[in-house]
Amino acid sequence: MSGGPPKALPSTGPQSLRDMPHPLAGSSSEEAVGGDSTPSPDLLTARSFGDKDLILPNGGTPAGTASPASSSSLLNRLQLDDDMDGETRDLFVTVDDPKKHVCTMETYITYRITTKSTRVEFDLPEYSVRRRYQDFDWLRNKLEESQPTHLIPPLPEKFVVKGVVDRFSEEFVETRRKALDKFLKRITDHPVLSFNEHFNVFLTAKDLNAHKKQGMALLTRVGESVKHVAGGYKLRNRPLEFAAIGEYLDTFALKLGTIDRIAQRIIKEEIEYLVELREYGPVYSTWSALEGELAEPLEGVSACIGNCSTALEELTDDMTEDFLPVLREYILYSDSMKSVLKKRDQVQAEYETKLEAVALKKEERPKVPADVEKCQDRMECFNADLKADMERWQNNKRQDFRQLLMGMADKNIQYYEKCLMAWESIIPLLQEKQEAKDDSVEKKGRNAKNSEHTVLTHRISSFVTELSLLIKASDWVPHVHLSRQRSPRQVILGSLEAGVSRQTLPTRLCGRLAHSLRPSLQSRMLLEGGKGDAFSPVGTTPG
Amino acid sequence: MNFLHMTENNFSLKKIEISVSEAEKRTGRNAMNMQETYTAYLIETRSVEHNDGQSVLTDSLWRRYSEFELLRNYLLVYYPHIVVPPLPEKRAEFVWHKLSADNMDPDFVERRRIGLENFLLRVASHPMLCRDKIFYLFLTQEGNWKETVNETGFQLKADSRLKALNATFRVKNPDKRFIELKHYSDELQSVISHLLRVRARVADRLYGVYKVHGNYGRVFSEWSAIEKEMGDGLQSAGHHMDVYASSIDDILEDEEHYADQLKEYLFYAEALRAVCRKHELMQYDLEMAAQDLASKKQQCEELATGTVRTFSLKGMTTKLFGQETPEQREARIKMLEEQIKEGEQQLKSKNLEGREFVRNAWADIERFKEQKNHDLKEALISYAVMQISMCKKGIQVWTNAKECFSKM
Repeated sequence: MSGGPPKALPSTGPQSLRDMPHPLAGSSSEEAVGGDSTPSPDLLTARSFGDKDLILPNGGTPAGTASPASSSSLLNRLQLDDDMDGETRDLFVTVDDPKKHVCTMETYITYRITTKSTRVEFDLPEYSVRRRYQDFDWLRNKLEESQPTHLIPPLPEKFVVKGVVDRFSEEFVETRRKALDKFLKRITDHPVLSFNEHFNVFLTAKDLNAHKKQGMALLTRVGESVKHVAGGYKLRNRPLEFAAIGEYLDTFALKLGTIDRIAQRIIKEEIEYLVELREYGPVYSTWSALEGELAEPLEGVSACIGNCSTALEELTDDMTEDFLPVLREYILYSDSMKSVLKKRDQVQAEYETKLEAVALKKEERPKVPADVEKCQDRMECFNADLKADMERWQNNKRQDFRQLLMGMADKNIQYYEKCLMAWESIIPLLQEKQEAKDDSVEKKGRNAKNSEHTVLTHRISSFVTELSLLIKASDWVPHVHLSRQRSPRQVILGSLEAGVSRQTLPTRLCGRLAHSLRPSLQSRMLLEGGKGDAFSPVGTTPG
Repeated sequence: MNFLHMTENNFSLKKIEISVSEAEKRTGRNAMNMQETYTAYLIETRSVEHNDGQSVLTDSLWRRYSEFELLRNYLLVYYPHIVVPPLPEKRAEFVWHKLSADNMDPDFVERRRIGLENFLLRVASHPMLCRDKIFYLFLTQEGNWKETVNETGFQLKADSRLKALNATFRVKNPDKRFIELKHYSDELQSVISHLLRVRARVADRLYGVYKVHGNYGRVFSEWSAIEKEMGDGLQSAGHHMDVYASSIDDILEDEEHYADQLKEYLFYAEALRAVCRKHELMQYDLEMAAQDLASKKQQCEELATGTVRTFSLKGMTTKLFGQETPEQREARIKMLEEQIKEGEQQLKSKNLEGREFVRNAWADIERFKEQKNHDLKEALISYAVMQISMCKKGIQVWTNAKECFSKM
């Protein structure tokens, strides 16, 4: 290690940018570390690399160099090359292992972030830290601040309505984890964002809170300048391509919203279908208990419907957990992209206005052009970054949706395959000849267990059934008003109370009716038969 | 179309085919001279030549639902020991939202046409019912058939429901098998009703699931318009979503046939119960006759021996108003002895009748059980096959869609 300012310990506190060597620099890391002293620690300053006019990782442009356009296009090519060549990937980030922390003030979840990298920006080849949602939110804000010309990936929704969704349920936590993982991976894949200082800190710092408090504003030069762009300038001509992007994003978000609603509606309908299925299956079971030869086939159908219900439940769970969140993310993504577009418009507006002002004033040559040139710089940088990011975004979006929709199709295929298997497996059961299962034998066996009590209860209940049927057919009580709201039982009681003329019923029957519907007297009614006959007294409980 | 044997006047045997081939809306005047609309069904009977198997149209006439009902009511009265096949439902029940509950709805009429044909085939393939003259005339004599049926006076012979109810409750010793059968038919009715109700709700929901997917078709199409590389894949996937959404109509139409098969046995349960009821009525009648005979015998004995064993009104009046003369007593005893003789004969024949009824009825019930097990198994198999076909269609559509997505 060469002499110079002491090297900061790894993963504690930030490393100032001047200590970070350029990734594409030919010089070794050791040489660069602790190297030259540079004027302002807050800004990335230019370094000359001889004939290589390269833009430094965070987008800062060396002042006074060749036009940014050529540099940016060169970088674009490099960025694309990075994407296509998997072997150049030198940074891997994973989010996993959610854990619940219960403290006095609050309860929250942390996730483990594992980073593996051969990049020189990382002191160690591997890091493992714990972060919570707040930390991700902080990171995103910092990225937006420091890289305003780039599209920052979205985070899963911050606020969850308490009571509606359980923040600590396995499904919710897993869905969130996946989204956070996606978020970090998108940043990792971005050739500019992945080198962001805040990102590095996020991945490596043992105590992020301490770092947050330090509040180091490590803005890029462009970031700094864009931050100070005044609003309120009127934009004259939006370049065609950015107008097209804006329109595209509008329609895109609209269509995604529609798809989100449709998907939710489908899940809702499927859940309601599931509820009915869960009642449907068991009825076959009930029926099976009545039958002899048909018992097994009916039971088989019942089990089959049960299996289909389970498969459907899995489908709805999957769609809720995997499909809907990704849609929502993309809607958030396009929202944040729209605001970046707006900023770009502002930058252009400022430039155009200043340019106009200069055109009017003919004096003051030396000073004004520099100012206007800065604006032009800004604008062209922004445009370049945005264009590059849009292309990347379009490509990723295509892959993401391809995967998402294929996944949806897959889940539906799996659901139908499970159901198919269930139904195909019972066909042989339905077709097989049931041996020696005699209906009457079955019933006899069952009834042998029944006491006389049950037999009597049957007679009572079938008596009432018969009576109800008669009333329904309006056979013999024509002047009793049949109201739909009243059950036949109530009608019987009512007609007795209304003093239906005894001529419409045999006297004895009428009396029996009155008794039969008073449960406490049911058993006595059975004992008091016709003339002198008697059932053996049974200790029946009122049925 | 079954080949059946039918007798006409018990003289000749013919092989015939029966079909209810058409349904037609008609307007006419009803009993109160008011205009009404009803549906008439064309019944065609073909006799099959023994040798070459060719069928010749022998009879064709139009009947409406009420005439079918008349036929069935007639059969119920004259064949109380037979489980008489049921008619398709009078009004549409267990409908789910898309199905119309309207009797004039063409789908309902079509399903009823099939149900009526099924009824005729079942009657014609029953070993006893197929020989019935009135049934034969139903198929062959268009005019005057109603009058012919009514002339049999079957309505008068019908047991009063009230009597039956009374008997049901008060019979002491019905055949245990009939008690079990009645209980079974009650439970069967209850469980099939429940099943049909839930199935209708299931159909409703399934319809909703499929139809909402149709919206994907539209939105994918709109989305594809703004995309370059993704456009084609999205567009064609959307088309498959439309196919998926419209496939449910045929699927559920097929399922209605399954529901109709279940409904037939729902109504068969009622026919089973009718046979049980008849048995209870006959048994009760028998018991009453036996009781009556027993009490007469006792009276006779008392009069003869002069002992009074049971409390009776006669005994009381005797105590109050004095004894009767020996001549009077003799006369009474003689009358009673005659009545007892009559009563014993009646009891004998009733016993015979009752036993014959039980034997015949049980034979038909066994036949019915076989038929039921066979038919319902077939129904379940065809239901499973329907489900399998639905799953395969689903897999096909989603596989196609997945392929389109993969080309995005």
